[in-house]
Amino acid sequence: MSLRAYVITRILMTIPMILILLTLVFLVMRVLPGNPVIAIVGMKASPQYIKKLEHQLGLDKPLWLQYVDYLGNLLRGDLGRSMIWGKRPVIQEIMDHFPATLELTIGGFLVSVILGLATGMVAGIRSGGKLDASMRIYSITVYSLFIPLLGMMLQLVFGVWLHLLPVGGRIDPGLEPPAITGLYVLDSLLALKLDSLTSALAHLVLPSFTLGLVLSGIYTRLVRSSLMEVLGQDFIRACKARGLPGRAILFRHALKNALIPILTMMGLQFALLLAGAVLTETTFSWPGMGTFLVERITYRDFTTIQGSIVFYALFVALVSLVVDLVYAYVDPRIRY
Amino acid sequence: MSGKDWGIAIVLLIIGLLIGYLAVGPGRTTTTTVTRTSVKTVTVTQTAGAPPPKTTTKTAPPKKYADTIVIGVTDKVSDLDPANAYDFYTWEVFNNIGEGPFKYKPGTTELVKGIIEDYQVQEGGKVYILKLRKDLKFADGTPCTAKDLKWSIDRVARIQGDPAWFVLDFVNKTEVIDDHTLKIVLKQPIAFYPAVLAVPTYFPIPPSKYPADKISSDNTAGSVGPYKITKWVRDQVLVLETNPYYYGEKPKTPKVVIKFYKDATTLRLALESGEIDVAWRTLNPTDIKDLMKKPNIQVIEGKGSFIRYIVFNTKIKPFDNKKVRQALAAALDRKAIAERVFLGTVDPLYSLVPMGMWSHVDAFKEKYGEANVELAKKLLKEAGYSESNKLKVELWYTPSHYGDTEADVAALIKEAWEKTGMVEVTVKSAEWSTYLELTRKGQLPVTLYGWYPDYIDPDDYLYPFLHTGSNRWLGEPYSNPKLDKILEQAQVSLDHNKREQLYKQAQEILAEDAPIVPIFQGKLYVAAKKNVHGIVLDPIMLLRYFLIYKETGS
Repeated sequence: MSLRAYVITRILMTIPMILILLTLVFLVMRVLPGNPVIAIVGMKASPQYIKKLEHQLGLDKPLWLQYVDYLGNLLRGDLGRSMIWGKRPVIQEIMDHFPATLELTIGGFLVSVILGLATGMVAGIRSGGKLDASMRIYSITVYSLFIPLLGMMLQLVFGVWLHLLPVGGRIDPGLEPPAITGLYVLDSLLALKLDSLTSALAHLVLPSFTLGLVLSGIYTRLVRSSLMEVLGQDFIRACKARGLPGRAILFRHALKNALIPILTMMGLQFALLLAGAVLTETTFSWPGMGTFLVERITYRDFTTIQGSIVFYALFVALVSLVVDLVYAYVDPRIRY
Repeated sequence: MSGKDWGIAIVLLIIGLLIGYLAVGPGRTTTTTVTRTSVKTVTVTQTAGAPPPKTTTKTAPPKKYADTIVIGVTDKVSDLDPANAYDFYTWEVFNNIGEGPFKYKPGTTELVKGIIEDYQVQEGGKVYILKLRKDLKFADGTPCTAKDLKWSIDRVARIQGDPAWFVLDFVNKTEVIDDHTLKIVLKQPIAFYPAVLAVPTYFPIPPSKYPADKISSDNTAGSVGPYKITKWVRDQVLVLETNPYYYGEKPKTPKVVIKFYKDATTLRLALESGEIDVAWRTLNPTDIKDLMKKPNIQVIEGKGSFIRYIVFNTKIKPFDNKKVRQALAAALDRKAIAERVFLGTVDPLYSLVPMGMWSHVDAFKEKYGEANVELAKKLLKEAGYSESNKLKVELWYTPSHYGDTEADVAALIKEAWEKTGMVEVTVKSAEWSTYLELTRKGQLPVTLYGWYPDYIDPDDYLYPFLHTGSNRWLGEPYSNPKLDKILEQAQVSLDHNKREQLYKQAQEILAEDAPIVPIFQGKLYVAAKKNVHGIVLDPIMLLRYFLIYKETGS
């Protein structure tokens, strides 16, 4: 199969996946008691008023008709409008919250990968030694940290005591860079606004570190075991016999081979983080998708939940495709 | 690279990043805490959008008062259209950017004239003639006339959004008499109508900026109040700046930045770190107690008018039995809830009408006392229950609407009821929307709810709960024709003393029948930096940003 055929097949496979997901979410949301109208109208709302709103939102139609209507709109690229507060277009709601999540995901992901790779490599190279034991303890300790607690401690130390970093939000009010990508760090760079960049980075440090530190524990163990396995293989011994320097062996040969299983994990984790790191977002008042979706589920905002699921499914499919393509780059034995 | 090398490299990287950050941070050249805090304030002032006022230059002598105040909240602004806004926090914002025919005098529950110079009540309370101020202007400088006020009120009725009942239930028609005079004809005399005229639903909005028959949820055009909105990023930040066209006294602080937090503890930490000047709704009880001990922070306490209560659905057995409800009302230990769950940040309440409001009587305390286990046992015995034949109660609460303390409230209610030895309580919970729907359908036997007032009048604390048909939202748990009559009379009577007597009577009947049992009344807490002044807390529960100011350079 050529690379192009592979990519097309993968893209086609996402269609039934999204359809199944969407149908499930559609049914589950409607089977559960509670509807968006009752969740938001004032307590004094009359039954007539509630009926009127349900009619406006199409909630009085038979379930199958609501489903067909929704799919029809979806095919036209219309995710619909939110059913509560402001009744804004779902795509606009996603675009308002998703960049924040993406920024935090990238921040947390980078921290976790850097810390995880560094500690994992140390443990893998020095396997059996004191450093290895320390790194293994590190891995278990950080992974078992409770995010709100860690976050609060960091807020206390760096925010309240040292006054070094802000405790919540994405940027100081008024410093928002012009919206280009929605990623404040990137937009500040593109607009060459140094004060915005500083503020955005300062706000990003604690949440990214909190999230990244906890997740780095997984990489430590994974990199360690993968690296140990590769270092024990014949080709590494052959490299050593040919007199290659240790650093070249490690970076050019061992690490590249050890990265395959880690890449899978990275892809999965990145996709998972995109759904929003609810605890981190709540602790740092980060206006991302995680807390937004939890709130909308509580209020049964059907259209927003469905729209976000479709959006995510597409994004996750894309990430997993990219990961598969990166495999081929890292490991020449893999061909599509 | 050896393990040691890696360790050194990582440490160097972290130190490098820290130094880099400190080096590029604006004005972060000094290291004392005091300097950083003040620098942070300057950052906000300089960059919150507009250039500095012409009168201010960098070389100007130190000002006595800050130009900007940052307020943190965990609330949200739902809808910036008065025709659809119907939640407490959004109303607070409206009360700072707009004004109605009537408003409350800060610190009191006294209604005073707002955008009107004068008014007349005619035809026995059925007609209101409102004479608008002649210097009234919207935030964009266009004049605000009687025509605009009529348009705004009629628009609410036309759009039929959530708060439309404030107009639809009371108003028959509106008529413009001249540029500055509006006539409102009511369907029937309403004793508390001036209080209704103080809600944001009656605020004038500029017809040129709002669509005539559609909700405009993200509209920042504002109204005729002391501030105007200059920036709004939903769920993140709201910036208000002085409305130069406001007829009254200018706000004490030209710019107010409201930051929205998702977590009460983060809100508290933001105050301590200096990110915000004022931490408003809603801090956790433990954080309030903690902040009271901090030397640089002041905690201001005020009377609240929100209440919490237990609802018994009298259509579901065994709660159709009055003695059962009375027994549970008698056994309730409100003090334990107030002290153990809320650490004294709420007061036990013995009526649906809050303490401090005229006509309030401690009806439940007079009838049952407090945590009266003996009386409860006696009543339970009379109802046919015993230690071997226990009353089974299914108590419902929602974890997703009244804060983290709700599960503890339910646990203490269970504990108090089970102290009788004749009650067995099963505590169950449901998410907010599920909870509301099941309640509305009348499927939940015992539930916990809370109430924020729409207008400050005993009517708002009794009629919606006890009048037949008005309590549909609670699944119509109770109906009493005698009480209906009392409440209807009190609503239309213009004789204050008569109304007071009627409401006292209503509270006696409420305590006797006990379909709804009050638990506690909330207090208000604001935590602020010590140099912040002008915070006024009153039972209206709306913070007036225009009165707040911060001393600097002293």
